[in-house]
Amino acid sequence: MTNLLLMIGIFLFSFVVGYFLISRIPTLLHTPLMSMTNAISAVTILGVLILFSVASTRTEQIIGSIAFVMAAFNLVGGFAITDRMLRLFKKKETGGGAP
Amino acid sequence: MTESYAALNLVLDFCVIAILILGIWLFHWPHRAKFGNLTAAFALACAAGLVLYRNGTMYSNIILLSLVVGSGAGFWVAKRITMIQIPAMVAFQHGAGGVAAFLLSFAELIRGSQHLGMVNEISGLLGLAIGSLTFSGSMIAGGKLSNRLGQTPRILPRHTWLLMINLIGIIMLIIVSVVGLLESRIFLYILIIFMSVLFGVIFSIRIGGADMPVLISFLNATAGVAAAFCGMIIENKLLISCGATVAASGSILTHVMCKAMNRSLYRVFVPGQDISPKNKISSQDTTDTQIIAPKNNFQTALEYAREAKKVIIIPGYGMAVAQAQFAVIQLSNIMLDMGKDVKFAIHPVAGRMPGHMNVLLAEAGIDYDLLKEMDEINPDFSKTDLSLVIGACDVVNPAAIEVDGSPISGMPILHAHKSRHVVCCNLDDKPGYSGVKNPLYENENTILLLGNAKETIERLVETFPQVTPDMEEYSSLNQTDQKNPLELATATLLSAQKIIIVPGYGMALAQAQFKVVQLASMLESLGTDVKFAIHPVAGRMPGHMNVLLAEADVDYDKLYEMDEINPEFSQTDVVIVFGACDVVNPSAMDTPGTPISGMPILMAHDAKRILVCNFDANPGYSGVENTLYKDQKTIMLIGDAASTANNLIEAIKS
Repeated sequence: MTNLLLMIGIFLFSFVVGYFLISRIPTLLHTPLMSMTNAISAVTILGVLILFSVASTRTEQIIGSIAFVMAAFNLVGGFAITDRMLRLFKKKETGGGAP
Repeated sequence: MTESYAALNLVLDFCVIAILILGIWLFHWPHRAKFGNLTAAFALACAAGLVLYRNGTMYSNIILLSLVVGSGAGFWVAKRITMIQIPAMVAFQHGAGGVAAFLLSFAELIRGSQHLGMVNEISGLLGLAIGSLTFSGSMIAGGKLSNRLGQTPRILPRHTWLLMINLIGIIMLIIVSVVGLLESRIFLYILIIFMSVLFGVIFSIRIGGADMPVLISFLNATAGVAAAFCGMIIENKLLISCGATVAASGSILTHVMCKAMNRSLYRVFVPGQDISPKNKISSQDTTDTQIIAPKNNFQTALEYAREAKKVIIIPGYGMAVAQAQFAVIQLSNIMLDMGKDVKFAIHPVAGRMPGHMNVLLAEAGIDYDLLKEMDEINPDFSKTDLSLVIGACDVVNPAAIEVDGSPISGMPILHAHKSRHVVCCNLDDKPGYSGVKNPLYENENTILLLGNAKETIERLVETFPQVTPDMEEYSSLNQTDQKNPLELATATLLSAQKIIIVPGYGMALAQAQFKVVQLASMLESLGTDVKFAIHPVAGRMPGHMNVLLAEADVDYDKLYEMDEINPEFSQTDVVIVFGACDVVNPSAMDTPGTPISGMPILMAHDAKRILVCNFDANPGYSGVENTLYKDQKTIMLIGDAASTANNLIEAIKS
């Protein structure tokens, strides 16, 4: 029971902190923000790691490895594309020819 | 001992969460966001390290192989994708996250079906259901965004009923699993996955193109919730916390998108069948009358644009479809160079995902200070000379304010109708996604430039600078004292052994590349050694000059990078500069404290003679006076680069 309360507490705490944190992020960065939080949602990769920490059956191994590939795709791809996108946001061009 | 160990673990978990929060917090400033992204990635790497350290692993080979395959594929796709494909890419990524979540729940459920607590089991079943529907919903969304599926909402007969029955079915299955009525649980789990996948499909197919920002944000939230439920099965605090943060972020974005479209979440997800057909009828009525509105008044629009001092550009999804963002930035740069006040007004739901327009314009190299949010810019419209609407309709539809009872009534819009003139570069004058006709099109001060936005803007860019008052001044100046410099220039060119040509953005603007290349091959046929020096930031995108010169059929062996060619300038007889300024400005090296100080430049000033074929002698984009122009070795040929090149060709011929 205490465990359940602790888990609900953590969920609510993170949700509220996240809410206040994110609600003031400029709309300029909404796409990168979504893309980054998308990468964070691949945190399920931790779950797969835990799954593999004890002996498992063949079926579990197959399911687990597919889940791992997907999560890794989401995680690495998400952060990489966010990084690429954010590199595009510049304050000023550093030169360039003039007509 | 165990207590202090547990406490330490709790502290470590909170440290990781704190790093993650720091990463998100850095997103409050555009210039720190990149670091924030890396910080968040670091936090997750720490979390993975922590889990591995605490639990160890039995199958390091499987993990390693999966890691290489998954992250390799993710990285490869992320590097290869173009910016127009980003919305679809994000949707597919959500889908991958959903698959991972439901497979993890599935594996945990079949493993622990005997000894899982009630709470864990319910969490697992919910994770299973939400993960599956996130997966299928995202696949449909991704298909729509990448144009593999139709953009229009597909409504099945009794759509809402189907959804409800499906949902009740899933809930029933979950209850049956928990109570344990059936022996074969695995069969039940698979049935739940199947039903949830179906639910995601039915749910998403009836959401149309312009409501995609809401759907994609919503799926972002469900992916987070699924991750949090996964955390609850295995009682892992990091998973719960990260999942909840993502859920919060997705909810905020969903809320912001809904508010910006003035639609409740319910109205987006359950489009009233009675509303849309009515509006479609009314829209058909009005298209006939709208044809009377002035069409293709290109010259008038051009005059407005030239006269305007204060310009606001309003991009919409049409700009994304026509891939017009580069042309739009080109146009805005021309206007900025002429000293006009140019801003971009970004409606929160313009495009297909939150912040879509910002990404596209950033891709085209905009200074993000010019991008203004709706509330910030709306008071400015009444003081604005020209609003340039590019592929946007509903977000500038005054009916939202003026008419009650339409689907968009009360939706916040950009007040383009308050500016002195409005020019709409839209594909057609039909109503937008909402189906409400746009009275802005009929206003007296509105000019419609119908057709492909990219072509329209490119036409504006081409015609814009050539007849401006400034230009006339320069060309008249040009004609009076042209003879001497041109003769001198021709003589220098004919006696030169080694020539380097430096192209810049001005060459692109004047579309002078063909003439330049003609001049180059002519000089070569006279036995001169001709090379092209390409500065990395010449033009408006990486490799811009290379593309243009390639278009004009230059052998790419003749195109030299800066570092490669810089030592050669001192042995060069003539450097011809076509429409480049900052990249050959010696101030970058010899004057400290200017905006370009320290920027690497092409050493054109080392050559024996320099011909500058620029539009004017003003400073370039940086605003720093170019000392090269005043050098005694320099011959200035002011005017349109294409005609200057032509003059040189004619002079050499004779």
